[in-house]
Amino acid sequence: MYWNQFSESKLLSIEQKILSVLKSAYKTKFVEIKSELGSEERIWTISLNTESPNTPLVLLHGFAAGIGFWVKNLDTLSQNRPVYAMDLLGFGRSSRPEFSNDSLEAEKQMVDSIETWRQQMKLDKFILLGHSFGGYLATSYAISYPERVKHLILADPWGFGDKAELPPRNPPLWVKIIGIVFYPFTNLNPLASVRALGPFGPWLIQKLRGDITNKFDDIFDDKSIIPNYIYHCNAQNPTGETAFHHMIQGFGWAKNPMIHRVKNLKNEISITMMYGSNTWMHNLAEKVKEIRPDCSVDVQIIENAGHHIYADQYDQFNEVIVNASNTVDGRTSVVRILTAKNGSHNLKEDEVIESENEEEVRIESS
Amino acid sequence: MNLSFAGCGFLGIYHVGVACCFKKYANHLLLNKISGASAGAIAACCLLCDMPLGDLTSNVLRAATEARNKSLGALSPSYNINNLLLEGLEKYLPDDAHIRVSGRLHISMTRVYDGQNVIVSQFDSREELIQALLATAFIPIVSGLFPPKFKGVRYMDGGCSDNLPTLDENTITVSPFCGESDICPRDDSSQLFHINIANTSIELSKHNMYRIARILFPPKPEVLSNMCKQGFDDALRFLHTNNLINCTRCLAVQSAFTVSEKHDENLEYDPQCQECVLQRQEALVSNMPDTVINIFQEAIEKANKGLLNWIFKHRGMKLLSVLSLPYTLPVDIVYATITKFMSAAPQLGNGVWEASKYCMDQMGQILNRVNKTRQQISAQISCQLAITEYGNKYDAESCQDYTMQNKVNLNFTLNLNDGDLPFQQEPSENVPPSRMLKQRPPSITIDGYETNADAFEHILHVTSQQENIMTYYYLDENNTVQVTEIFDVTESDSPLLQATHEKDVNENLEFDEEDWGETLWVSEQDELRSELRKPSLAEVSEYSLEDLEKDTSTLFSDPESEWSSTFKVQELEDEITIPYNNNTIDDDDLRPESDQPLPALSGPIKNNYNLSFVLED
Repeated sequence: MYWNQFSESKLLSIEQKILSVLKSAYKTKFVEIKSELGSEERIWTISLNTESPNTPLVLLHGFAAGIGFWVKNLDTLSQNRPVYAMDLLGFGRSSRPEFSNDSLEAEKQMVDSIETWRQQMKLDKFILLGHSFGGYLATSYAISYPERVKHLILADPWGFGDKAELPPRNPPLWVKIIGIVFYPFTNLNPLASVRALGPFGPWLIQKLRGDITNKFDDIFDDKSIIPNYIYHCNAQNPTGETAFHHMIQGFGWAKNPMIHRVKNLKNEISITMMYGSNTWMHNLAEKVKEIRPDCSVDVQIIENAGHHIYADQYDQFNEVIVNASNTVDGRTSVVRILTAKNGSHNLKEDEVIESENEEEVRIESS
Repeated sequence: MNLSFAGCGFLGIYHVGVACCFKKYANHLLLNKISGASAGAIAACCLLCDMPLGDLTSNVLRAATEARNKSLGALSPSYNINNLLLEGLEKYLPDDAHIRVSGRLHISMTRVYDGQNVIVSQFDSREELIQALLATAFIPIVSGLFPPKFKGVRYMDGGCSDNLPTLDENTITVSPFCGESDICPRDDSSQLFHINIANTSIELSKHNMYRIARILFPPKPEVLSNMCKQGFDDALRFLHTNNLINCTRCLAVQSAFTVSEKHDENLEYDPQCQECVLQRQEALVSNMPDTVINIFQEAIEKANKGLLNWIFKHRGMKLLSVLSLPYTLPVDIVYATITKFMSAAPQLGNGVWEASKYCMDQMGQILNRVNKTRQQISAQISCQLAITEYGNKYDAESCQDYTMQNKVNLNFTLNLNDGDLPFQQEPSENVPPSRMLKQRPPSITIDGYETNADAFEHILHVTSQQENIMTYYYLDENNTVQVTEIFDVTESDSPLLQATHEKDVNENLEFDEEDWGETLWVSEQDELRSELRKPSLAEVSEYSLEDLEKDTSTLFSDPESEWSSTFKVQELEDEITIPYNNNTIDDDDLRPESDQPLPALSGPIKNNYNLSFVLED
C-alpha cells in the first residue's frame, strides 16, 4: 500500500456515486486527443442530451475540481440543449501531461487541448461557461478561438484583477520571521499538503473546506463523498496544478491578468458575468463593461452565494444560464412564439425539428 | 433575520464597530436572535442587553493595552484574560441580563470531553450567563488549564467547533476576516485560496494572515480604532446594498407587511420615501458615534503620551524585551502560579474536602453493592414467580410492586419442598440445617392443628377446607385423565395459609447458599422422612394407590372416581424453578420437572393452586 491513496477505480466509483443523483441520461467517456506536446492524451467528458439541435453548452470547472461538481446543474442545463463537461487536462480523471513552466505557454497548452477536444467532439459553435480558474481559461479560449464561442459565461472568474499593492503595514517581528521561514513553502503546489498527508488527505480537506461538503449535503447523505472526490481528483501527479501554480504570483494573483487581455476579445462574443454576493473574488464586471463598451456584458449578482455559486444557489445559477443560452438561440424562438400566437404555422421543412423547442419556450415564457 | 458574530479574540473590536452601525441605522435587526462564539458571543450579549457601546469599547481597549504591556501578549502566563472578562461583565451587565437574553442569545460552545458543539440559549441566572460567556471565550492553555463549568459540564471556546453559528438560512454573518461572510472586510483581492475553519470562511491573503496574528496579539490602539471603523463601514455597506436603512415610519409599514397582508392605504410602503432617502444619504457620510471615537482618541493619546511610553515604543527597547524573554518568562510563570494559588487558596480546602467525600461515597457504594448481591437474587426470583403465576392477569409492572410479598411466597415455596431447605435465621451464625429445622416453629397452624413443614399435607388441608373455583378434566397424550383444580387463596391472612408469626419469620428469612450441598439435602430428606413418617415427594411417583388413600383421603373432590397408579403435583409452568438457585434444585433434584414439588404461593394477592392428578385407566 502506498502512502498516496489514489486509485483510479476509487475515483471512478466516487464519481459514479455523485453522478447517480442525475435524473437525465448521461454518457461519460474518454475523448482521445493529440495534444500540442505530441503525445496522446485523453480528456474525461460527460455529455447529456446530445440529440438536441440547440447550441451546445460546454462547462469548464474550477481549480482542483472535476465534472462531479456540476451535479446540481447538469439536469436543468441539459433540458433544452446538449451539455458537455470535461475534466480539464491535468485535472480530475483526464491524463496528466507535463505543461510548460512558462505561464502563457502553459495557458496556451491548456486552451489548445480544449480546442482539439472540440474537434474530436465535432462541435461547431457552442456556449462556453467557466467557473473560477475555468473562467480564466474560457476567456483565454474565447480570445484564441472566437469563431467557436457563441456566448461566454463567466461564473466568479479568477485571474481578472491586477495584483493589488498592499498598503504598507508593519507586522510584528515574529510574524516577519514566520513569513521568512515559510517562504520556501510557497514554491510548493497549493495542494501539496493534502497529498503529503496521504490517507489523512480527505480528512484535511474536510477540516479546511467543510463548507463544500455542506453545499452538497442536501443531495448526499454520506459526508465523506465530497472530500474523497476532491482528494482523488488531486492525488495524482499534479501537472495541471503545477501549470496553475506557474500562472499565479504572490498569494494567488494571475501573472497575466485577464482585465488587460479582455479587450482582445471579439465584440461579437457577448458575455454574461456572474458573481456571488458574498464572494471574496474582486468583482470586476463593471470594469469589463467599461473596457468593452460595444459588446453586451450582462452582469448578474446572485444573492446569498459565495464563490461556488453553482452549488450555493444552483436554482438561480441555472436560471441565469438557461436564460442566457436561450437568448443566444433566442431570435428563432422569439419569432416562433409570435408566429405561433398569430396562428400562422408556415413551417418550412428544416424547421420541423425545432418546433419541439417552440413548445418548451412557450412554457417557459408563460 | 438573525445575526451571527464570529469569534475572533481581540479582533472583537470589529464587532463593536458593526454593533455601532446596527444600533444607529438598523435597530430593527437587533430584535431577533443573535448568536456568536467567543468574542462574538460577548458582543452579541452586549447588543441584546443594550449596553452602552462606550463601556464595551473601553473594556476591549483595556484588555488590549494590558496584553500589549506583556512581552508575550495574551500568551503571557501572568495575563489573565478570564479575570479581565469576569470583572468587565460583572460590572457592566445589567441585573436582569439573563432575562433579557434568554431565548435570543445563542452562544456556541465546545464540550470538552467529546469536542462536540453546543449552542446554549437559556440562562437561569446572571451568574450562569456570565459563566457561559467565560466558557465560550476560554482558549485552552492560553486562558488557563481548567475550562469553566456551565451547568455542571466543562466547556471551552466555541471557535474549536463552530466559530460562526448560523441559526437558519436568513442569518447575517459577521466576521472580521475577509471571506464569504455577509459582513466582513472586502479586501481588494482576487485570490483563489480559501479555507473554512470551524464554519468561518477565511481567504488566504496577506491581510487575513495579519488579522489572524492579531487574534492573540492586540495591535496598537490606532489600528484597533481602524478595525472598529472598518466594522462600521462594512456593516453600513451591507445595510445599503440590502436596502435595510429605513426611516421609522417605513419600518413600521414593513413590519405591518409581514404581520398581516392587508394594510391601510396611507401606510403603503413607498420606496421613494423622502425620509428614507434622507436617512440613507446621511448614513453614507456618517461616522462612528462620538462616544466611541472619543474613547479611542483617549486610548491613543494615553499610549503615545509620556516619557515611559516613548521609551517603550522605541525599537531598541522592543528588541531588548524580546531578548530578555528567556529570563523574564520563568519569573512570569512563577508569579502567575503563585497568584493562581493565592486566589485559589480559600477554595483549595473545600476542594480537598469535596474530593475525599467523593471517594468515601464511592467506596461506600461499592461495599453496599457487594452486600446487596444476595438480596438481589431473591428479588429476581420473586419477580419470576409472580409473572408465571398470574399469566395474563397481571403484567410484569404490577408485579414489581409486590416484591415484598413475593419474597414471602418464595419462602413458602421452600416449605413446600418438604421443608428440607436449610434456613438460617441469623446470617452471621452458621447453623447446620438439620438443627435449624428442628428449632423452627411449625410453619402453618390451622385451628390449633399443627402441620409441620410438609407442603403436601398443607395443600391437602387447603384443598379439603376450601372449595375449588374451577376443575379441569382432560386427557393427555398418554390417554390419562388429568384433573386440574384451581383454588382461591386470596385471603392470605387466614390462618389456613399462614400464621401471623410465621409470616414475620418468613419475611426475615435468608438462605445460606454455602450450606446448600447435596449431601445435606439428601441426608436431611432421609432424616425428615423417618422423623415425620411421611413420604418425600421424591418418591411420589412411586406411590401406590393404597398409600395415597391412606394419606390423602380428603384430597379428591370427586370421591367416586377411581384412582389408579400415581398422582402428580404438577406445575403449569416450569419456569419457576429455573431462576431459582440453579445450584440447588436443578442440580440436586433429579426428578423430572413435572414431578418436582409445586412451589405454592401464599400472599396478600390472589394465588391459585394448581393440582393435577393423573389417572391411568
